[in-house]
Amino acid sequence: MISTPDFRLSLALTLALLGSAAYAQEQPTQGGRLTISTSAEPPMLDPTSSTSAEISSIMYDNVLQGLVKIAPSGKIEPSLATRYQVSADAKTYTFVLRQGVKFHDGSAFGPSDVIAALKRAMDPKSGHTHAEYYADMVSVSASGPNTVVIVLSRPNADFLFNLARADSVIMPEGKTDAMKSAPVGTGPFKFVSWQRGSAVTLERNPNYYVKTLPYLDGVTFRFISDPNAQLAALRSGDIDVIGSGLAPENALSLKQDSNFKVIVGSSTNKLTVSMNNARAPFNDIRVRKAVQYAIDKNALLQGVMLGNGTLLGTHRTPNESCYYDLSGQYKPNLQLSRSLLQQAGYTAQKPLKITLTLPSQYVYAVRTGQAVAAQLNRAGIQTEIKLVDFSTWLKQVFQGGDYDMSVIGHAEPNDIGIYANKNYYFHYDNQKFRDKFEKYQRTTNRSAACISMRALQKQLADDAVNVWVQELPYMAALKNRVGGWWNDHPLPSLNVTQTYLRK
Amino acid sequence: MLNYVFQRLLGAAITLLLAAALVFGILLTIPGDPAQTLLGLDASPTALAQLRHQLGLDQPPPLRFVHWVTGALHGDLNQSIRYDAPVSRLLRERLSLSLPLIGLTLVISSLLALWLGSAAARAAQARSGRDTWITAGAVLLSALPSFWVGLMLMLAFAVRLHWLPSGGFPGWQEPGRAALALVLPVATLTLTRVAILARMVRSSLLDSLSQDYVRTARAKGVSERRVLYRHALRNALIPIVTVLGVQFAELLTATVIVEAVFSLPGFGTLILSGIEARDYPMVQGVVLVLSALVVLVNLIVDLSYGLLDPRISYG
Repeated sequence: MISTPDFRLSLALTLALLGSAAYAQEQPTQGGRLTISTSAEPPMLDPTSSTSAEISSIMYDNVLQGLVKIAPSGKIEPSLATRYQVSADAKTYTFVLRQGVKFHDGSAFGPSDVIAALKRAMDPKSGHTHAEYYADMVSVSASGPNTVVIVLSRPNADFLFNLARADSVIMPEGKTDAMKSAPVGTGPFKFVSWQRGSAVTLERNPNYYVKTLPYLDGVTFRFISDPNAQLAALRSGDIDVIGSGLAPENALSLKQDSNFKVIVGSSTNKLTVSMNNARAPFNDIRVRKAVQYAIDKNALLQGVMLGNGTLLGTHRTPNESCYYDLSGQYKPNLQLSRSLLQQAGYTAQKPLKITLTLPSQYVYAVRTGQAVAAQLNRAGIQTEIKLVDFSTWLKQVFQGGDYDMSVIGHAEPNDIGIYANKNYYFHYDNQKFRDKFEKYQRTTNRSAACISMRALQKQLADDAVNVWVQELPYMAALKNRVGGWWNDHPLPSLNVTQTYLRK
Repeated sequence: MLNYVFQRLLGAAITLLLAAALVFGILLTIPGDPAQTLLGLDASPTALAQLRHQLGLDQPPPLRFVHWVTGALHGDLNQSIRYDAPVSRLLRERLSLSLPLIGLTLVISSLLALWLGSAAARAAQARSGRDTWITAGAVLLSALPSFWVGLMLMLAFAVRLHWLPSGGFPGWQEPGRAALALVLPVATLTLTRVAILARMVRSSLLDSLSQDYVRTARAKGVSERRVLYRHALRNALIPIVTVLGVQFAELLTATVIVEAVFSLPGFGTLILSGIEARDYPMVQGVVLVLSALVVLVNLIVDLSYGLLDPRISYG
């Protein structure tokens, strides 16, 4: 799939390192403090009250945990529940809770906390930002001292995954309001402070239920958005890890420095050239297809991301389950693109003119957008770039649907369902897709659900809803001393549970 | 004089109210929804509507402005939307970084400018080539953008030499590290600002050095040092102090860039994140306090004229 020699080389190196005896048998060392830079500051610290990926990055599993969690492999693993059972009709979920667990404030974790958290989650009026994940829930109740039973009105293929998301973390009963700025959880690290504009500091939880974890005494997440400042901070020794927002050109220079290790791992971030399917010209599938043929994704991947990442062909990454590789469906073909435009009524005399609205805060989106505009102009589609700040983008493009074309990364895992919502900013309105999505959600047989999921991906590609350019890879740079870092990111999480500093 | 101060304070209050209204109006004209910015891309519409209601964003703008002004008059600058914390607390935290940053820059660059400017003035009088060198150096420095100077200093002293931190601020509870964190930002601001002041000192001094009383002093046999610092400089100070007042206001804007380069949590980054998140109460609060500071500094500058030149009185 990935064909750049650079990536293959780094993959080979990574495999070689993993295979070498030193790494395979390395005993993690206890102690030490780690400073990690992140490129943006979270708007708050409670992942159940905001969908911002920055919150999950810092808090997920480090501080806040749910009944189940997502492992780096993408597999769903037990967390606060030691085991779970799904009934034959896929409507009853029984969770056996871990015993003797204490929240960071000293209170005991028990069924009542789980019930309170999930009741709040399923109530659309509670301020939970993703109540629709729990819409099929009928009841959640305790059965015995350490068992919780959830009953659904109908089967839901994504329900367990949704319980593993950061939206489903369990906090002490009745303390939700304080969580936005001082979260209390059960994870290996306790929240210490949030210096607004500067850093979030965590400290080792001495009462963590896995006795050997965590290895580190403390972690500080520092917000450094400027790529040059990140590089300077790492090279000067002020930080140990550039945890997010590493620019491809900086990755290139750090790869040549033996003091650091560069990680290019998988993510669920889909770099999307979105089109407004609701209004002219992109309500015409011929025009959307003309755009697909006009864009050379591989040139974008090589030129903008310097070869890092995987080409995509639909709204899903290889990191997510039941992936269907459709990246080859529309090969660059200017002639075909022109003839499609002609059929739609656009000629050299009367060319298609569009506006490409880009959120200026996101460097990758701006760079990609500029290259896309150049490719479209070459294909005879006159593209004008409009740079706006992110709040304006949210208001005009995302909420208002007042745009032709835009570029942004969709980081949320397993989010193909946004296409079933015709009010979502692509304004893709296809009953066939909605029916297929409903069918997928109600299928509990794993392999049958996968077939439905693949059909959904194919439908999007056939309708040429958007141009899915590539998976924006997870890129980080670490000091050589840092071990136990997540390479692949099946959800936004800088998980430091098993991270350690070599002596 | 008291009468004068009172009049000025009254004018200041009107200025502040106008500034607040202006900022409120401008914020309303730029598109944005703080609730969506806060809750992220995929938040459910119900959650958004609820937050808007909770933040009072569903009320008509004039009513919101009146609420804000009433609060501000009672010393309550409201709650920040972006940070879910009182604006006054955030401002206190940020000013404890930015004011020392600006203050140190003003003091150091004034001293440096006095030294360089008077050296240049003396050299000019003696028709020495040093004047040209100092003036040319000053022009060159003032032409360099501060973000570039900051990055270069960072590269030299943090990345190569490891003498100083590359950015960030540990807080004043660790005074030693906090002071170290300010060295490069202060140096950046000083380097890019000192030139304007030094040139002002030079021309102003040259002006007074050609006055009759200087010739008289020299004829009396007063030492050249004393002529310069006691007679000429004192009279040259009025235009210099005026420029210092203007510099203060300019430094407020210059720190926005320097704070971003060195990832310092000062008010510059506060106002930037406030605008990005459409955090109306926070932006208004910061602008109000900054306007108050500028007005106050200008008042001090005006009053200092009387101290520098007893002929000036405030009728």
